[in-house]
Amino acid sequence: MGFRKVAVALALLGALLATAAIATGASGDSTAAPVGSGKQTKTNSVCGLGTGKKATGAVIKLGAIATKQPGTDFTDIPNMAKAYFDCVNNNGGIFGRRIQYFIETEQTDPGQIAALGKKLAESTKVVGMVGNTSIIECAINHKYWEAKGFYVIASGIAPECYGKTTNYSSVNMGPRYSSDGAVQYVIRKGVNKIVFDQSNVPGTGYIKAGPIAIAKAAKVPIVTFEDTVPIQDANSVALKLVQAAGKNGGVVLNFTPDQALLILQAAQKQGIADDVKAWGCSTPCNSDFVAAALGTVWDGKFGVNAELSLPSKPAPDSKLYRQVAAKAKLAFGLGSFSQMGFVEARVAVAALLNMKPPYTAKRVNQAFVGVTNFHTDILCNPWYFGKIAYHIPNNVDLTVTPNKGKMVIAEKCFKISAADPDIAKVRVIEKANPQLTKGKAYPLQG
Amino acid sequence: MFPTDFELYKPFFVTGLALGGVYALSGVGIVVLYRATGVLNLAFGAIGAMGALISWTLINHTSFPDWASYLACIVFGGLVTFAYGVIFGPPLADRDPLVKAAGTLGLTLILLGLMSYLWPPFGRTMLLPTSNYSYHVGFAGVDVTQTQIIGLAFGVLVTFLVGAFLRFTKLGTAMRALADDREITSTLGVPVRRVEAAAWLGSGLIAGAAGLLLSDLVGLDAVNLTFLVISSLAAALIARLRSLVATMVAGLAVGLCTALLTPILFWPNASFPVAKYQYASPFVIAIVALLFLARRRVVTVARTEG
Repeated sequence: MGFRKVAVALALLGALLATAAIATGASGDSTAAPVGSGKQTKTNSVCGLGTGKKATGAVIKLGAIATKQPGTDFTDIPNMAKAYFDCVNNNGGIFGRRIQYFIETEQTDPGQIAALGKKLAESTKVVGMVGNTSIIECAINHKYWEAKGFYVIASGIAPECYGKTTNYSSVNMGPRYSSDGAVQYVIRKGVNKIVFDQSNVPGTGYIKAGPIAIAKAAKVPIVTFEDTVPIQDANSVALKLVQAAGKNGGVVLNFTPDQALLILQAAQKQGIADDVKAWGCSTPCNSDFVAAALGTVWDGKFGVNAELSLPSKPAPDSKLYRQVAAKAKLAFGLGSFSQMGFVEARVAVAALLNMKPPYTAKRVNQAFVGVTNFHTDILCNPWYFGKIAYHIPNNVDLTVTPNKGKMVIAEKCFKISAADPDIAKVRVIEKANPQLTKGKAYPLQG
Repeated sequence: MFPTDFELYKPFFVTGLALGGVYALSGVGIVVLYRATGVLNLAFGAIGAMGALISWTLINHTSFPDWASYLACIVFGGLVTFAYGVIFGPPLADRDPLVKAAGTLGLTLILLGLMSYLWPPFGRTMLLPTSNYSYHVGFAGVDVTQTQIIGLAFGVLVTFLVGAFLRFTKLGTAMRALADDREITSTLGVPVRRVEAAAWLGSGLIAGAAGLLLSDLVGLDAVNLTFLVISSLAAALIARLRSLVATMVAGLAVGLCTALLTPILFWPNASFPVAKYQYASPFVIAIVALLFLARRRVVTVARTEG
């Protein structure tokens, strides 16, 4: 019997190893072509200095905190930022210095998030925070970062990432303003009622305030829902939304791509996708993974607000993004999440290349906050940090729609409506501070 | 105001049956093993989830034919469950049912950890070929896919086949005897370990098949599929882990009840409508059912002195 036990144990181990081999083989990438080297020009983007030589000098430590829990995973953003930093390190680094990047994940536990912030700043001794993407991190840590003099280059979600504090600036517009854009899209489609559904996570009241303001300004009635994620019964959720919207209504979703996909596929399987006039979604749905998984049934029928350009855009930064993304460990593949990580890392590297050593926390963060008029073909408008009261630098975006398994542009860059009072404030700030988006572009290589 | 328009509820009968089929399928799988071995297998969902992920990988990243990939899911379920049963079944045989259940919880966590490591969450969908064919249900005004029908039918089929197997076959009788009293069954000359191994294997094959169907019906998410077992437990508990038919009926009832709460969006008030708590309904139903089933008549006993 002893032999039997051993044999069975070995068989189980073998099965698990085979599984591991299959999975690892699936996600592996055998290509090893160097990327990001060359000369930075208007038609060619490179990683940092683009020297093609590995940096071997002292390290500059940067950190990030991202949410990773069932139903919500934002790690594509720091994972993509890491891939860009690695690319920079392989191309001369920051004048020979290497960027060392520390990614911490959290599960929307305030105590844990506060501890992670302290750990990064005081134990790991990072000199800057880049790529933070968390449901509540801004709300929990913003005072701490203010006290430490940190200016965080982030992907925002909570209100504190935008308006209620001055030491975060996000490359995205976050769920509220992106949902605003999706609501604007379905209004332009002529719907007579809007149903807005989002995941039941902290901050839903703040998020839905935007769509409600925009629908009210357009005199279109709006109903809002929150659904628990992960969604167990997508069929019922889809039915509920379609019923609530009615024949000439529109449904706008604000979920992570996988959860939105469940609802859309449920609507498709039940044959009720055409029972409303328009479907919209905030930025997370802007992923070829969603377009491919949906099939052609939704082509042109489903508008996704895109805070960033199409991943397939034939432009220098976008091309470099795709090359670097091929080396990154991404859950969702090419899409808005990884684009955010790329832009954040690119901004941080430009800031580091434009400052002189020593790379202390104080000096690095002054460099971060000094970035204005940062041009990239991944955003509709130039990005900025700056010492201003409200930071929503990304407030112009576009709408994309699936087409034969890929996302294509449905609407070119448009302004998020100033009917949302937060956006109205930012427009005033931008007008009063023209250097934020106008004048000489921020230099990429110092 | 409570919505009384019946039209509003019609489509949710269909989605409720589909969801109930999911609960019934998982619930029956759990009860089958419990009746045969006395073990409450909490890893049922995780085993199916990992099988489905292996199947997804084979379909999307190898040249394996689709049918072989689907088969791999079922075989994986059978092998892992069989291996667990053969290795850990005998040493835990004399332990308390709670200890046995906790053992399977360990397997759940191991599999969940492996899945998180090998398949970072999200970004995958499993669409079985049967989901490309649907039928319009005129009464409800919605379509149902073949996969939904198969999910429901599979639950019913497994219920009756396993019920008949346990009742009418020699091996089935041995399994039931084992679940009641392992020692006595052993002294009667029943090859205990072989019978138990067969029960584990059968239950594992059901877990694999259920995982495959659920990955399409619920979504290919390791965590969601793993913890779906908790909702399904409600159905199993209502049936007191005894009757397969009662488990199936309870699963369907729980699914229907959950779905039918969906359109109650503004009652008793808009801030806390009933619909907001619909996913708690399996547990509420289970608690109510258990309290009802466990009710006892009060017997007054008097003693006469003298």
